[in-house]
Amino acid sequence: MKRIAFILFLFSIFSGIAQEKEATEVGFKKRVLETTEVDFLSSYYQQDGIHSAVSGGSGTENLTDVTAAIVVAMPLSDDEILTADVGISAYSSASSSNINPFDTQNPTPWQSSSGASQSDQLATLALSYSASSDDRNTIWNAHISASKEYDYSSLGFGGGITKEFNDKNTELSLSASAYLDTWKPIYPKELQDFKDNGDNLSGGIFNYFTITGNTAYNPAQFTFHQDKNRNSYSVSLSLSQIITKKLQLSVFLDILQQQGLLSTPYQRVYFKDINPSFINDFQLANDIERLPDSRFKLPIGARLHYYINERMVLRTYYRFYSDNWGIQSHTANIELPVKISSKFTVFPMYRYYIQTASDYFAPINTHLSTEKYYTSDYDLSSFDANQYGFGINYTDIFTNAKVWKLGLKNIDFRYNHYDRSDGLKADIISLGIKFIMQ
Amino acid sequence: MRKIVIGLLVLFCLQACSAVKEYEKIAINDPDMKLSARTSERFETTFQVYREASAGANGGKTGGGCGCN
Repeated sequence: MKRIAFILFLFSIFSGIAQEKEATEVGFKKRVLETTEVDFLSSYYQQDGIHSAVSGGSGTENLTDVTAAIVVAMPLSDDEILTADVGISAYSSASSSNINPFDTQNPTPWQSSSGASQSDQLATLALSYSASSDDRNTIWNAHISASKEYDYSSLGFGGGITKEFNDKNTELSLSASAYLDTWKPIYPKELQDFKDNGDNLSGGIFNYFTITGNTAYNPAQFTFHQDKNRNSYSVSLSLSQIITKKLQLSVFLDILQQQGLLSTPYQRVYFKDINPSFINDFQLANDIERLPDSRFKLPIGARLHYYINERMVLRTYYRFYSDNWGIQSHTANIELPVKISSKFTVFPMYRYYIQTASDYFAPINTHLSTEKYYTSDYDLSSFDANQYGFGINYTDIFTNAKVWKLGLKNIDFRYNHYDRSDGLKADIISLGIKFIMQ
Repeated sequence: MRKIVIGLLVLFCLQACSAVKEYEKIAINDPDMKLSARTSERFETTFQVYREASAGANGGKTGGGCGCN
């Protein structure tokens, strides 16, 4: 049934291409980008919950993140645009600090330790290039990207093509991307020290702390990862269609394949069939999360936007997702921009998300040591989530406010609250400021 | 899933209807009608990719580049 649906989907696309009218000779050619545009973006994110994956599915998930990015789009010619996107983010996390909770005298999964894993920074760089045909009906694009944080690095590249036809009422895009990523694995401290000391308790943290509960702690099942690469390959197809003068629709289909180290090396797992061992309140890991080395993902989404009147627009989005780890999800968004004046727009928004659990997920102290794959990461559990918030947009088409040679085009402010059914809560504030070069 | 796919196919078969001319696209060209996520929305998408098991199908990045789900 899925194959038939996919073939029919492709057929409908090519029937649209058959409607393309012959292009007339190009006269006046408008520049694809009149002048350089600069976006300054920033966000503040904070979350808390009770199911830290670092401590096996139980523990504080307190985390804050501050991110800033600059996006500069520059016209290289009448037909070409070069875009540079540079970003940096810094996070502080009680959860990741408990990769090594033994920096304190009383290690517990409910408080952060003072170790180096408490915080990290991520730097990102992306360059993209696009070129349009003279009639503006064909656009080619290519991109490269790189990012780096302490334990993870990424190199990405890709390209695509967009065709417009049917008096620019229909737009078809095809693109492909690849991300070649590498882990620098960090393991839970007790497992690292156990291995470093030749699979016994005669060194490291075991010289400074007393094990309680099962004193015969022996995580012999733990081994270091040999393959540290994580590669992601995707093909994306999108089709946009103007339905009426006030209604337009787009559909997105991605096909994504991931290979390599797809689990997180510092996320602990506790087995039900092994008696627990503790240092203070902190349960010592039996192993780390183990997941298959391949994953196939298939999301399909659609946007439907309707122009209600000169004051209001209705923006909706839906996505269905499925993968071969047993996860299926539904996402639905609705946003209602309301123009309250010629310069200000407010937009309330709501998002609902629901997913099923991965085949490999189980809560803390539930997995058996005989299983091949296991995780207690609640991001892979079944849950639903409500996200609601509002935004305010200020737009000045005449760019009367200026900073040096940059005219202020618009300011976008967004606040959202996120509530997950397993107890995770988050808040995010985002700010975007767009300038155009004058 | 089956009903959703069939419904979308029917919608796209309707593209045979008459095209909207450029001078009739006043509403379509409104900035809020743009068929993509807002630029300032990218950070929300980032945390959703980390905290949820699914990603993609929104016209943006599909995955990779992070150790997230």
